[in-house]
Amino acid sequence: MYKSGMSALRVNRRMLVAAVMVLAFVYLLVIFLWGAFMDPFQYAVQYENKFLPPGKDHLFGTDFMGRDMFYRCIKGLSNSLVIGVLASAVSSVLALILGIASATFGGRVDKLINWCVDLCMGLPHLVLLILISFMMGRGTKGVTIAVALTHWPSLTRMVRAEVMQVRSSQYVQAAYRMGKSRFQVALTHMVPHVLPAYLIGLVLLFPHAIMHEASVTFLGFGLPAEMPAIGVILSEAMNHIATGKWWLAVFPGMMLLIAVVLFDVIGDHLKKLWNPGSGNE
Amino acid sequence: MKKKTLAILLTAAMMTSSVGCSSGNDMSAADGDRVTESAEEDQSSEGGASTATDTADTKEEVTAYVGTSIFDGSLDPVKGAMSYGYPFINNALLKVAPNSEYVGDLATDWTISEDALTYTFTLREGVTFSDGSDFTAEDVVFTYETVRDHQANNENVDLTCLDSVTALDAYTVEFRLKECHSPFFDTVAMLQIVPGDSYDSDLFDTAPIGTGAWKVLQYDTNQQIILEANEDYFGKAPGIKRITLVYMDSSAAFAAAQSGQLDIVMVGAGYAKETVPGMKLEAFETMDVRNISLPVIAEQTKTDASGAEVTVGNNVTSDLAVREALSIGINRQEIIDHAFNGVGVPAVNFTDHLVWASTEDYPDGRRDEAEKLLEDAGWTDEDGDGIREKDGQRCAFDIYAPGGDEDRYRLAVALGEDAANLGIEITVKTATWDEVVSLQNTAGFVWGWGQYSPTVLNSLFKSELFLTGGYDNPVGYRNDAVDEKIEEALSSNNQKDAIAAWKEVQKIADAEYPYLYLVNIEHCYFVNEDLDLSPNTQIPHPHGHGSPIICNMSDWSWK
Repeated sequence: MYKSGMSALRVNRRMLVAAVMVLAFVYLLVIFLWGAFMDPFQYAVQYENKFLPPGKDHLFGTDFMGRDMFYRCIKGLSNSLVIGVLASAVSSVLALILGIASATFGGRVDKLINWCVDLCMGLPHLVLLILISFMMGRGTKGVTIAVALTHWPSLTRMVRAEVMQVRSSQYVQAAYRMGKSRFQVALTHMVPHVLPAYLIGLVLLFPHAIMHEASVTFLGFGLPAEMPAIGVILSEAMNHIATGKWWLAVFPGMMLLIAVVLFDVIGDHLKKLWNPGSGNE
Repeated sequence: MKKKTLAILLTAAMMTSSVGCSSGNDMSAADGDRVTESAEEDQSSEGGASTATDTADTKEEVTAYVGTSIFDGSLDPVKGAMSYGYPFINNALLKVAPNSEYVGDLATDWTISEDALTYTFTLREGVTFSDGSDFTAEDVVFTYETVRDHQANNENVDLTCLDSVTALDAYTVEFRLKECHSPFFDTVAMLQIVPGDSYDSDLFDTAPIGTGAWKVLQYDTNQQIILEANEDYFGKAPGIKRITLVYMDSSAAFAAAQSGQLDIVMVGAGYAKETVPGMKLEAFETMDVRNISLPVIAEQTKTDASGAEVTVGNNVTSDLAVREALSIGINRQEIIDHAFNGVGVPAVNFTDHLVWASTEDYPDGRRDEAEKLLEDAGWTDEDGDGIREKDGQRCAFDIYAPGGDEDRYRLAVALGEDAANLGIEITVKTATWDEVVSLQNTAGFVWGWGQYSPTVLNSLFKSELFLTGGYDNPVGYRNDAVDEKIEEALSSNNQKDAIAAWKEVQKIADAEYPYLYLVNIEHCYFVNEDLDLSPNTQIPHPHGHGSPIICNMSDWSWK
């Protein structure tokens, strides 16, 4: 009786965690797809509708050109997600390669990679982003490259630590003795071991990437004004806050916040499920 | 119990009485705020020294936000300060009158020789600098020679055509030019005179000594400039004794105006529909036009000045019919209504506030004519998507606006919406000024032009300036007749002939519509209702992001 009660609870909690995660994922996927396939007419200029407050025709109101803020937000968030995914993917692959290389080769390679990590983490992140974006000619290209190239250090450290743990274990040592090369060992023994932690780290990178894309764009070093993006929308809204057009900043800001929080939720829940310690709770 | 009721009653009575009091004296309360505020400002600005300003008469000074361009560079005329035509600390030999003609300022009379190589100016006598020294021809010689010898420090005043400058006597000065250059006259109005004896390059960056109506009392980098009336000024003494120009973010300035801290605040046209208690909106005419360059040559590869192969030209805008259809077919007033809340004057060429500007205006909004032009040229909408095509080429092109300039972006978007009615698709993008150097040759760009000197026409139309690395002749315009007329204007020995030649230049060039003129912008300000800015003595504002309002500070007064 007692035992079955426990197992029912266990199933429930795992399911709950999974359900929350799936919901969050579906929400983000819907925003992404909706934005990606949206007809530009939805957020087109309509001068007769300038500065309408939020209402049933325009859920989030309209801006100084009469563009519908709801559709602009969705499109902008969708654009941000694409950049986030792209940047996280590049950053995480970089982190995986560097982290494993650092731990398996050790010695000078380890020192060099650690030095690079320290260098990048020592600089204020936003300054580094602006520098790279500026150097790459700003615009979509600049901000994507900047965000992609600056999010690997912390994940590299994590991967390195994980691999260090495995490195001295017996099965790895045995593999070496059996004449496997370092590359083979890394591929067959290390990658599978660090994968869960790595994937969680990857998901938790998204919100950082999206936030940083929005901030760099807000400061004028990122996406151009003609592209709907949360950073662009927010910096435009700044010009109208003094005149009381609150909806231009509040709703896009909230949409960004929700997206970021949801990524965090997904990452945290993944951690709960995959982490051997909490996975069976 | 009784005590408690009494207490409540008493409190209530006190509250109502105090409310009655404050509502009855609303106006005086507001005035009181102003008093304390200006007094506080005084104290902080003078390091807490007890400057007991007369609190009885608070209308002594003005605090203004007029944009930040005054803070951008040095105040030293030798380094190009205030060369756009509204100096207040130093004076040039000539100045611009409200009717846009040049009149004497530190000069009283002048002659130009027959060969147009010698300019002789007679100077005003009895003028002193704010340090008490006399103004003489030596100061003029010193200023011009210093600028010419350090030309690299001054990008606004170009003296490369100057051969020599000599003081014939204490109040006569003679300029000799290397070659004929009629815009030298404009240059003379741009360069203000500094005292030769006390000139100090570092000091003059923030506190120049001059002959003007104002002197700098305090200069706080990127915070404020406090100006004080110069009691020894040779002209009319300023009615207001102290003016503080503040440095702010434009939206912060608007918020400060709403809370009553500023007497003048410059705002973008986007704010024209707002209201600020105690202030009225004033719009001033400018000579600043916005036009869009449309490349006149078809797409091709050329070699630029540095020897690199570059792609230039645009296959849509290179068709005269497209350019002309846009110029006559769009509705400029509607574009201004949409982009600028109706603030601005439709323009089809440079504004009539410029003496040399073309006066050949034409009506726009002639959509039928424009459509016929396009159709005759072979641009028809075959696939029914609303955009015309010709031999598989869509009638579509890009227009770039400078990033960070919301007004120009809005203008381009509004134009794009209007052009769609003609079946022309315009995509608006933003770019940095560095990117523009290459983009300007293949796409449209939103330019702003507002200067007294007609040399802008040379920059726009001179064929040899194409691909020289700057922002000159971005459209690839080439017309020998225009080049000839430009030479004629430059070598003229009197203003009248020069102006006639400059008008010819525009007459020939404008017939090919290389630039799509849209609007002669207006500068908007919220101004304290009690402050009189003397609109009749304002000059038409040159380019300057709102700061030209200070052109007649000495005529301002409190009502």
